[in-house]
Amino acid sequence: MSKVLVIAQAAEGVATELSLQCLAAARAAADRIGGTVTALVGGKDVGSAAPTLIQHGADEVRVADADALSPYLTTPFRKAVRAATEGESWALVLLPASTMGDDLAPFVAHDLGAACVLDAVGIDADASGCLLARRLEYDRKVTSTFTAAEGKALVVTLKDGAADALPADAARNGQVVTVDLPGDLAGAAEVVRRDVVAKSVNLKAARIIVAAGAGVGTRENFARIEELAARLGAQIGATRAVVDAGWLPADHQIGQTGAVVRPDVYIGCGISGAVQHWVGMSEAKTIVAINTDASAPLMRRAHYRIVGDVNDVVPKLTQLAG
Amino acid sequence: MHSIVVVREVWDTRDLTGDMVDGAGAIRTDRLTTRFEPEDLNALEMALRIKDTLGGQVTVLALGAPGEVDVLRECLYRGADRAVRVPADLADLDTAGRARLLAQATQAQDGWRLVLAGVTIPEGETSLLGSHLAAELGVEQASYVDSLESVTETEVVARRAIEMGIEDIRLPLPAVVSVGVALLADDPRTPRSAKAMLKLKAKKAEIPEFAAAGGPSPTRRTGHQAVSERQIESQDVDPNDEAALQGMLQRVLKGEG
Ligand SMILES: Cc1cc2nc3c(=O)[nH]c(=O)nc-3n(C[C@H](O)[C@H](O)[C@H](O)COP(=O)(O)OP(=O)(O)OC[C@H]3O[C@@H](n4cnc5c(N)ncnc54)[C@H](O)[C@@H]3O)c2cc1C
Ligand SMILES: Nc1ncnc2c1ncn2[C@@H]1O[C@H](COP(=O)(O)O)[C@@H](O)[C@H]1O
Repeated sequence: MSKVLVIAQAAEGVATELSLQCLAAARAAADRIGGTVTALVGGKDVGSAAPTLIQHGADEVRVADADALSPYLTTPFRKAVRAATEGESWALVLLPASTMGDDLAPFVAHDLGAACVLDAVGIDADASGCLLARRLEYDRKVTSTFTAAEGKALVVTLKDGAADALPADAARNGQVVTVDLPGDLAGAAEVVRRDVVAKSVNLKAARIIVAAGAGVGTRENFARIEELAARLGAQIGATRAVVDAGWLPADHQIGQTGAVVRPDVYIGCGISGAVQHWVGMSEAKTIVAINTDASAPLMRRAHYRIVGDVNDVVPKLTQLAG
Repeated sequence: MHSIVVVREVWDTRDLTGDMVDGAGAIRTDRLTTRFEPEDLNALEMALRIKDTLGGQVTVLALGAPGEVDVLRECLYRGADRAVRVPADLADLDTAGRARLLAQATQAQDGWRLVLAGVTIPEGETSLLGSHLAAELGVEQASYVDSLESVTETEVVARRAIEMGIEDIRLPLPAVVSVGVALLADDPRTPRSAKAMLKLKAKKAEIPEFAAAGGPSPTRRTGHQAVSERQIESQDVDPNDEAALQGMLQRVLKGEG
């Protein structure tokens, strides 16, 4: 039992960056235990992702292509994974820690009788070659390690940054197989509405980010944030509160369900610094926080703390930056 | 409508500083207090609102020893109709093992239609206990659910927060919903507080037990290591001191930290 499976995610037929990171972690684990890496990709017209998956570390790609697999829903994907992996045993199954991978992993683990670790930050092996998943717990103050009971598979979702994607190697070869899917993929659940935005900002590449939180108060006040960002040549980031309020589209969100960013400068305006936001920006080189509440978590973790109203402080900064 | 809410009492790690792991690699729980898992509280509120609008009842379930589930009583204070404790030794149970016990307790509740649980785990990361529970119960589910857009006796439409937006999933009942609400200021979804009258009524109420049987967990925890937190030296900048603001901007923009 030395096979590693990556359940990759593809958007518009292109493998996601997080899926490529999973492949890199899978490759390292497989090399350690002398195994092979199989990538499974499901969706509608996702076969185009296969060459990329091979170039980034897969030995074999299985393509599950069906209308019922787009958009993602738990039951059809669960059935597709079963059909694609029936009768085989796996040492390790990796999925991206996205709202898709985290959603699916417990079901894959259930079907395999496997151990399940969500949101891991890395895969290791101990001296005897036993695979371990590392995960942050206790408000990210402790790393816990997990392993599977003897003879069981380990199902893990990997967080952004857990591994660096391997550079594409055009010389790598691999087999591409089409999965024979059952006709009754659909479950009883149904997606009745889907509002997703196309990516219009690349926060990951931004050197300076001005991020807005609920403390900005109103959509009208938002102009002040835009002025500061324009003056600094910065990108605009946001908390989920701001996205939920409809002040900015979702591609601006930083955090657990948004982007993980590492800018040189992050200026948080009216942001409390909830852990789900902090995980997305904790590695910014310099953190500036503006908040009326000096005890907000982000204020306790900022290099520069400005206790004040964003609507006063931000225009001042804009003026001074000019 | 009969809703089941799974609630957990979790370590409160928010304001902790210093080492969390002792010399033997164990969590220094003596330094921790507990609180109601915030996402489970949001899940309870969703269930109470269903009862407010459609009628019916809310049953809350929690796993653990009596001293680990004070949250059950807290739910009664907030308006839950019934609380059931499922005795278990939490330390040896992974999420799937917990779900196995909770699934049995759920099946024992008369006419249950919807199960709600928070997406988070005690320590602040995803657990998706709800997904494990749906796998055990063999019903449909939705995770990262922000709100219920509509609820009837036969189906719910759950709004799910995904990476680049939202999606609404229609779930025929019975089903499980894992709740991950990002509460805004003055949010209408804000959990209600305990009521003095209910407190009086439930303070001494007997909390029934449901005995469930599980098997060994496939997930083994092998160790703990303290994470050395990034040391950030904080500096206050007076918003009324223009020179200070300007100095800060210059240092920051030059990359001098
Ligand atoms: C499953 C799940 C996933 C999540 N994913 C994300 C994610 O990816 N990204 C994310 O950001 N969040 C996420 N959240 C939400 C997160 O928990 C917080 O709710 C959110 O980050 C809070 O946003 P905020 O700081 O803008 O708002 P709040 O927490 O409401 O903070 C507003 C802050 O503004 C300050 N303030 C108020 N008025 C002023 C003023 N005039 N001037 C200055 N300061 C002022 C207040 O003191 C307060 O500190 C997620 C939650 C869940 C449950
Ligand atoms: N008194 C308690 N209150 C809340 N959670 C608890 C308590 N005791 C144990 N737990 C939880 O039980 C699990 C087992 O803890 P651990 O000792 O870290 O394996 C953890 O998720 C703890 O958060």
